[in-house]
Amino acid sequence: MDVNELRKNAKLEIDGQPYVVVEFQFVKPGKGQGLYKCKIKNMITGSVLDRTWRSGEKLEAANVESKKMQYLFAGADSYTFMDSETYEQVELNADLVGDDKYYLLDAPPPGSDQPIPYDVLFYNERPVGLSLPSHVVMEIIECEPGVKGDTATNVTKGATIQGGLEVQVPLFIKQGEFIKIDTRTNAYVERVNINK
Amino acid sequence: MSGPPPLSAAQRVAAWDAALAAVRAVLRGEGLREVVTPVRLPAVAIEPFIEPVAAPPGLLATSPELPMKRLMCQGSGSIFQIAPCFRAAERGRLHREEFHLVEWYRVGAEPAAVQRDVERLVEAVFEAVASALGQPPRPAPRAWSRVGVLALVERTLGVALHGHEDAPELAAALAGVAPALGEPLPLPFDARLAPTPRARTLAAWTAFFSAWCDARLDPWLADPSRPGVHVVDFPPALAALSEVAPGPEGHAVADRFESHVLGRELANGYRELRDPEEQRRRFEDVNALRAALDGAALPIDEAFLADLRDPGLPPCAGAALGLDRLVMLAAGRGALGDVILEPSAAGPDA
Repeated sequence: MDVNELRKNAKLEIDGQPYVVVEFQFVKPGKGQGLYKCKIKNMITGSVLDRTWRSGEKLEAANVESKKMQYLFAGADSYTFMDSETYEQVELNADLVGDDKYYLLDAPPPGSDQPIPYDVLFYNERPVGLSLPSHVVMEIIECEPGVKGDTATNVTKGATIQGGLEVQVPLFIKQGEFIKIDTRTNAYVERVNINK
Repeated sequence: MSGPPPLSAAQRVAAWDAALAAVRAVLRGEGLREVVTPVRLPAVAIEPFIEPVAAPPGLLATSPELPMKRLMCQGSGSIFQIAPCFRAAERGRLHREEFHLVEWYRVGAEPAAVQRDVERLVEAVFEAVASALGQPPRPAPRAWSRVGVLALVERTLGVALHGHEDAPELAAALAGVAPALGEPLPLPFDARLAPTPRARTLAAWTAFFSAWCDARLDPWLADPSRPGVHVVDFPPALAALSEVAPGPEGHAVADRFESHVLGRELANGYRELRDPEEQRRRFEDVNALRAALDGAALPIDEAFLADLRDPGLPPCAGAALGLDRLVMLAAGRGALGDVILEPSAAGPDA
């Protein structure tokens, strides 16, 4: 691939290892050569490197495929997913899942009767990572009661969602309600009305 | 996340309306007339690292330079244009594939007069945009400085160059500072790739200049004590479309300048090259380098060269200024995506 195809989430193969671009910056003096300044993450070890490429250079795209899979269960240091068509199971090492574990639901999400189809990434047919949807709906399983009548803006409180992650939510959110969360920042987006 | 809240569509429209009016007021006030030239062209000014967007049977303008110079050859007098331009694969906080250049040419003028135009445009647009947004005016640079490329290379890199080094001489002179210019070494540093001595010299200087801008010039310009800087006196290999004139100590220098505001490259200007044969050689050198770098050679604008020959370009100086960047700076923003009028473009990383 040409270096000008670089962007966030591009997958590259360098020295036989798959990398994903996690940060990307393009700089260029007006009549000079463009620089592509990237932070890249090794998709197997999780280590992050700084790399700069110059316009005109060539890169190798990594043979990374994504497959929709259903999350089944957590093991001691791994998470098991299943291809819902072939029933084939794969294990993802806990290091590769990282904090994405908070968003793994083995049951259909609130308001749906289908399990969440997770994107599991394969590099040369070996499972190397998870690509979460950018937003998920989760139930609040524990939070302090809100203070009635407090309408001050930008005031939040801690709340624990399914999976055990603590997030900051507005005061009006109550235990048992559902919220939409941005999985990239772990930030509250909005309240979601679902009849259980 | 910090920084000012995003501008609404209405605020962006107000900022652009004010900026466009300010640009026109300044340049018309200087006696220039506004023109519009074709956006789809048979050929563009050929640069090593500017890629045109194809629009069969032509190319979208990377700048309006060649059609405006043809108008000048044909007797237009001093003119300006606010022109949509396209450069393929330029995407970042300070780059968009589609953007707007303010481009202008003054008949019989020195580059210093065009540098003063840049200063006036910056000041006028800063005032107009702040007023349109109901903000206190951001201080536009008042104390502009002028510094030569090679003097600045010596100051920031500790290497004295005279500007006429060929590719092997330049590589030898820079051998001791190569790590400071970034690893891995820039691609055309291996100037053997280029097929002719002139193309090799162009390759070596372009690679060096690009690496030096990133490693040394940009940090130097980011110092708030240097809000407005005209970088002048380029090595002849980096003349692009400027006249090369005798300089100090008998070394010729290219009469080209780049204007930087608040650490951002904003404008590029020339005492315009008028010699059709030299212009053809430069286009051919760049094409040789492009071919060696695996990029496609580009068509040469024969009608432009014919006009340079007869009736000829009057002595003139001109510049191109990135209007989207100027609006961004005037609005106190850090990314073009924060200010452009492209409804789907919101977001600093877009």
